[in-house]
Amino acid sequence: MSDEPRDATATAAADADAEVTGGLADRWASFRDREISTVLLTVVGVAVFPFLFNNFLDGYTQLATLMLIYGIFAVGFDILLGYTGLLSFGHAVFFGGAAYAAGIFSASVSSSPLLVLLAGTAFAVLLAWVVGFLSLRRGGIYFAILTLTFGQMSFYLAASPLAFLTNGENGFTSVDIGSLLGVIDIHGGVPFPLTMLVDDMLYVFVAVVAVLSVAMANRILHSPYGTVFRAIRENERRAEFVGLDVWRYKLMAFIISAAFAGIAGSLFTIEGNYVPLQSLYWTESGRIVIMTVLGGVGSLFGPLFGAGLYLYIENIVSGFETLGPFWHLILGVVFVVAVVLFPNGIWGGIDYVRDMVVGGEDE
Amino acid sequence: MTLLADILTILLNGLQQGAIYVLLAVGLSIILGTLKFVNFAHGALYLVGAYLGLFITGQVPLNDGQLAEWGIQSYGIGLGFVAALVIVPIVVFIIGLLMERFIAQAFYDRPDTDQILVTFGLAIIVQELLRALLGGNSQPFQQPSWASGPIALPVVGNFPRWRLGVIAITAVLVLGVYALVEYTDFGLIVQAGTLDGEMVRLLGIKLSRPYLVVFGIGAALAGVAGVVGGPLANVNPNIGTEQLVPAFLTVVIGGVGKIEGAVVAGLMLGTLQVFLIQTGYAAWSQVGIYALAALVLLVRPQGLLGSEVDVS
Repeated sequence: MSDEPRDATATAAADADAEVTGGLADRWASFRDREISTVLLTVVGVAVFPFLFNNFLDGYTQLATLMLIYGIFAVGFDILLGYTGLLSFGHAVFFGGAAYAAGIFSASVSSSPLLVLLAGTAFAVLLAWVVGFLSLRRGGIYFAILTLTFGQMSFYLAASPLAFLTNGENGFTSVDIGSLLGVIDIHGGVPFPLTMLVDDMLYVFVAVVAVLSVAMANRILHSPYGTVFRAIRENERRAEFVGLDVWRYKLMAFIISAAFAGIAGSLFTIEGNYVPLQSLYWTESGRIVIMTVLGGVGSLFGPLFGAGLYLYIENIVSGFETLGPFWHLILGVVFVVAVVLFPNGIWGGIDYVRDMVVGGEDE
Repeated sequence: MTLLADILTILLNGLQQGAIYVLLAVGLSIILGTLKFVNFAHGALYLVGAYLGLFITGQVPLNDGQLAEWGIQSYGIGLGFVAALVIVPIVVFIIGLLMERFIAQAFYDRPDTDQILVTFGLAIIVQELLRALLGGNSQPFQQPSWASGPIALPVVGNFPRWRLGVIAITAVLVLGVYALVEYTDFGLIVQAGTLDGEMVRLLGIKLSRPYLVVFGIGAALAGVAGVVGGPLANVNPNIGTEQLVPAFLTVVIGGVGKIEGAVVAGLMLGTLQVFLIQTGYAAWSQVGIYALAALVLLVRPQGLLGSEVDVS
């Protein structure tokens, strides 16, 4: 039960209690509970990942970058779905909206990647404020449908009435990404020692943003703020009775998660130099739902894992001769099985197995 | 009298456009209202209905998908449109029963987010299965020969006969369901169960069977919608999800569980869409229905005809 709600005091206690007695599992748990170890694990993960990926998994660098981008998106989505218990079916509007904002900003204001990232994210946050304000009046199915409604509305807006801005069905092509801080070519190669692990600067840039995002999500979820999110998920009415302004916290959870979607969307534009109209369609929202649920809701690394797995299947497995035409179908079956049998996704399943093993050790 | 003719044409076209939304929404609505089950796979049932209708009405050449690769050149039995209108609802009714027993029932006590997730997954499975087997190409669905071509109406002038057919079929089906729910013992039990299931059970009435039937009827309506809506546009694996969102909007605008609400909302959406297209704002026609839906939901979250009570 490693990813169960943990309040600030427990984390602090685990921090202070450095010399934990007991088995290896306890020691591992106390190590993992510290924020710095989460960040370190993420750093090691993203640093070694492309090397493993390129050499053992038939992948390619561009896909590794894309996985991290969608990973950021999924981590943010999980703050809303897994921790606060709100299922949004319109999250593509923040991903795609930020992608468009970033693209348009790069073409007409500044091509600096950092500013583009900032502009896209800021746009997603502002948009989330409005959409969240309007769709959070109702829970459950009403919330899902209202977000879906706003998502579809934005898709059709971008498709034709706003085509003079977005270039309609052809997607936004005039993206212009300059060099990082004026010196580093973001689409160029990396200097020597790094070449052993990664190929291009873009991955490094996305990896740094991804690590920062994971650290940020970790900090939010382990703060008293995150505890309130979980309280709302467990029992909204009870949270209200103890005096919490539930509506405001839900809105903040929505905006925070949209900010992650915005970061991911902006990176998507920087990575691909192109914004497809499809990025606003509701199937894109569906994709992020699948990634997050498949990987594991209510955990930090589950959604990252889910995003990676989804894209891996989509790009690599779909190329296999026999499985290729059926890959989406297989994914659907796996998804349904996960929802029915493993509500906490693959990551939750791993946790479950480990708990069984560790529990056996104790007895 | 050309203005009057324009208005009537828009209304008739809106009626036809809305009819498909209504057919889907009524099924969605009675399932949601009675069983409190959110069925994101409703669009998939529409899709099944459309393909099944295609299969029954004619020989469809296959040049794409796994079946074609396995050497099957066409599918279909050519029994005609009326046969499709009879067989499809029966088959999809049975699919609905199976869905209730084996999927939905396990989710009645789980949060509605889980219901949305599992039915969303089912929708993907159905859609992708059809795509894998039959290919992703659009296939034309012929209008029934007895209803093709235009008909001369007073004032309006020539109007496609099939569109009137769509309106008529929808009217008959929706009235039938309405009568079933409002005026029969079955409908009484279902309604009572919606209000207070516990009490109905205490009276010695088993609710699981009526619920099963409600799910089946809802599914059958989606199947018929596929047959009726098929000839209006080509059939491809995406039409299910494309219809799902407007259908949901119709339900929520009209008020969950209200058949008359679904009718009013469906006609509103259909007419608005046609109005925008015919007045030269085609680009806004899709945006318009979503904006209208958002507006209604913000002002009256329980829907136009929904009661304040049954909102959770």
